[in-house]
Amino acid sequence: MTATPPVAARPKYVGGAVKRREDPRLLLGRGRYVADIHLAGTVHMAIVRSPHAHARITSVDTSRASAAPGVLAVLTWDDIRDQAGPIPCIDVYPDSIPVLQTALADGVVRYVGQPVAVLVATTEYGAEDALSLVDVQYEQLPAVLDLDGATAGDVLLHPEHGTNVVTTIAQDVGDVDAAFATADHVYEETFTIHRYLPVPMETRGVVAEVDPITERLTLTTSTQFPHLVRGFLAGVLGMPESRIRVVAPDVGGGFGAKCEFYCEEILAPLLALRLRRPVKWVEDRREHMIASSHAREQKHTVRVAVTGDGTVTAVDARSWTNNGAAYCTLATTPASISSAMLRGPYRIPHYRARAHSVVTNKTPLAVYRGAGHPQAVLVMERMMDIIAADLGRDRVELRLQNMLTPEELPSDRGTAIVLAGQVVYDTGDYGYCLRRAAEMIGLSPSWAAEQEAARAEGRYLGIGVASLVEETAIGPYESAVVRVDSAGKVTVLTGSSPHGQGHVTTFSQLVADELEIDLDDITVLHGDTDVVVDGVGTFASRSAAIGGAAARRAAGVVKDKALQVAAHLLEIDVADLEWRDGAAVVRGMPDRSLSLGELAVAATAWNAPLPGGMAWNLEATYQHQAAGIAFSNATHAAKVAVDVETGQVEVLDYVVVHDCGTVINPTIVDGQVHGGVAQGLGGTFFEEAGYDADGQPQALNLQDYLMPTAGDMPWIRTDHMQSPTPLNPYGMKGAGEGGATGAPGALVNALQDALASFGVTLASDGPWTPERVLALIPAEVDQR
Amino acid sequence: MTSARVRAELITVTVNGVPHEAAVPGRLLLADFLRDRLGLTGTHDGCAHGTCGACTVLVDGDAVRSCLMFAAQVDGSHITTIEGVSPDGELTPVQQAFQDNHGMQCGFCTPGIVCSLTGLLARDPAPSEEAIMDTLNGHLCRCTGYQNIVKAARQAAGRPVEGSAPESIGQGSDR
Repeated sequence: MTATPPVAARPKYVGGAVKRREDPRLLLGRGRYVADIHLAGTVHMAIVRSPHAHARITSVDTSRASAAPGVLAVLTWDDIRDQAGPIPCIDVYPDSIPVLQTALADGVVRYVGQPVAVLVATTEYGAEDALSLVDVQYEQLPAVLDLDGATAGDVLLHPEHGTNVVTTIAQDVGDVDAAFATADHVYEETFTIHRYLPVPMETRGVVAEVDPITERLTLTTSTQFPHLVRGFLAGVLGMPESRIRVVAPDVGGGFGAKCEFYCEEILAPLLALRLRRPVKWVEDRREHMIASSHAREQKHTVRVAVTGDGTVTAVDARSWTNNGAAYCTLATTPASISSAMLRGPYRIPHYRARAHSVVTNKTPLAVYRGAGHPQAVLVMERMMDIIAADLGRDRVELRLQNMLTPEELPSDRGTAIVLAGQVVYDTGDYGYCLRRAAEMIGLSPSWAAEQEAARAEGRYLGIGVASLVEETAIGPYESAVVRVDSAGKVTVLTGSSPHGQGHVTTFSQLVADELEIDLDDITVLHGDTDVVVDGVGTFASRSAAIGGAAARRAAGVVKDKALQVAAHLLEIDVADLEWRDGAAVVRGMPDRSLSLGELAVAATAWNAPLPGGMAWNLEATYQHQAAGIAFSNATHAAKVAVDVETGQVEVLDYVVVHDCGTVINPTIVDGQVHGGVAQGLGGTFFEEAGYDADGQPQALNLQDYLMPTAGDMPWIRTDHMQSPTPLNPYGMKGAGEGGATGAPGALVNALQDALASFGVTLASDGPWTPERVLALIPAEVDQR
Repeated sequence: MTSARVRAELITVTVNGVPHEAAVPGRLLLADFLRDRLGLTGTHDGCAHGTCGACTVLVDGDAVRSCLMFAAQVDGSHITTIEGVSPDGELTPVQQAFQDNHGMQCGFCTPGIVCSLTGLLARDPAPSEEAIMDTLNGHLCRCTGYQNIVKAARQAAGRPVEGSAPESIGQGSDR
């Protein structure tokens, strides 16, 4: 046989560390965020917010504000109650008690920061000035802030319902009671997870305007899901969706805080319709800390059944989520995910969970990077360490013993996540990630001796691991349109609207590989419901896997059509053509080909009809539907040093071994992991949205609310493995949230390891501030 | 600004090489002057109380928080905003380093960091690791976890990009 030299394969973009195409514009200061939009004739909206955690509004006098120079309108709930329905919640359960928020308070305020009245003035400074002229009188009511108090029900936020427990989610797998009856060991712990916040660097903002010609409303808003906002707004205002255009311009981070539909997204459109002028509002940071969604706060009580050989047979879990004063758009998702995913990568055949959503006089709580996962991981991974310590087992070995193996997958876990569906783990090698992370961090048989030696020198070192499986790439679908113009340039429209994830780059990589063209020939458009008619959005680590799959499949349909057109033009069978380098090529005759541009021209209206009534133009629309949830997995491992004199914790080393299926761009995946870890680290050591006993929020700016800076971060070392999911043709899973999901568990376990000699058992995710760490250390050690 | 009774100061200021004369009310923030009066919206307001650093610009070569200065204070100054860092629209070595190292995601905090590093490198073209970390510790970024920003800064400073900072740098800064 004569060997023919192989044709050099076109280099693939997918899997490559392609530099981001969106960066130059942003680096040159040419980004366009909501606050940067200045339309002629713009007027400025400002919100009067409740200063009380719980109070009845006895009167609102707007006369002084209305008379202030430049003030154009002042509205209260009475002025808009007939025009605006409540903010929808899309993840309620059938038996959930509806506790929906209205755009302005309807007689009672239930948290500090709740909108009470809205005004518009000709200047931003003037609008702010006029706020103090709105005279609102309140009769204060007792506030309830903590889960135990709210569950007891002495103070009710909505007395008509008779309870503050507004949703209870049940997950039942196997026979939990029988497993406990035969267990050799039963462990019970209660964990508290504190309230902390997404805090994107860009706050929220909106610009609403009415087109004088079409009378259509355009709402430009800093959101993660413009298409859903369009639907929500249409429903709330009773307007046809066709009269609403929603635009997400450059969005400066979201992390869940912009995966919500907010009061201001109703108020600005209402005022624009009323005044017929563009209405602009940009949230200030103080407002953001009390009026954008909060996150995380939960309490978990878990009982765990273990047999003598260390097999974890059952978990019986109860959790309470502090939902704040009302349902957000996504309100039960944190509780749902925590309860569905608590067992993480472990077999644990018998499982029962009751997850309660509870209302209190705090800011409404919703999703934040990882949603309910970080809480679940903290609880389960703390329990694995507690069990290992009690049984005298190696914590890695105990985990491996209980972990699902690749051969056991797919595995129907018997639980379900609201909006996402049944939990069926698809692919992964959880044990590999754990073993590799343990090896990378130095968790070897000699670790205990190393730790002991350091302790003898007064250095308290600890290593913690946390293994996780996370729901990613949820459906129901994402849309894509791929269109080729007569110059052979390709436009990709995606319904997944980004806020830093790099969709323009990764989607270009996918489409470029499918059509075998250059990245520079591709334009990716998103974030405008008039340009991209259908879409879902960017959340739940879904964009690459669902939106990316839609884009690539649409490109594939275009390619197939291009081949059909080529066969028609060349009068040959399509089977005699192949696709190579962006062209239809006759097999065996590489010189005989038609390029994408030539084929696009041939498919336009001024050319001969296409065969068989084929639609004109090289264009395809594809809706990729998620057949199930893709589950990413990872193990995080952290090494910390505790200064027992100051309580300061230094993170010496941090390792993430991560599996998100097929990686489109490893640099972007690493960036996602780094950012998530920083947020988890911030929540573990610094960040807290605290309240005083009266319900006054204690973190009103970024000086009270400490977030990590560059110097607080360890150097994160990542390693990837790729277990493609069968749920899309390209094997991609989600990568956006795992960093935040795994960090609290790994860091708290590391702190526990460092302080174990003091006999403490950490049962909280922190924040482990120096004061709190110091409180764990016996005085005689402190004073050495 | 709500009425003509608010007194305005007359200032002369050069922004990105262009001289401007303006009557500014005493309370007008420099950030708002740049953004709203001059249309230079690359300067971002992330907190309005001097913590996040997104609004950083160079005033006579020094990195300042434009949300903590009044426009009236910059009379006679030369200001460089992100739009003026690269007047010809080509990425400067600092900007290029951000793209090369994926030192940005949403891009909101980035202009402020680029301005700070540009100021640092103008004063000291070969800054130490300590000087780099001192500069970066003045900025909040919520997307990147900072690692790739550190790499970008090191590249711009001509230092090796990989590896953790020497111990004790930055840890516990002002906390």
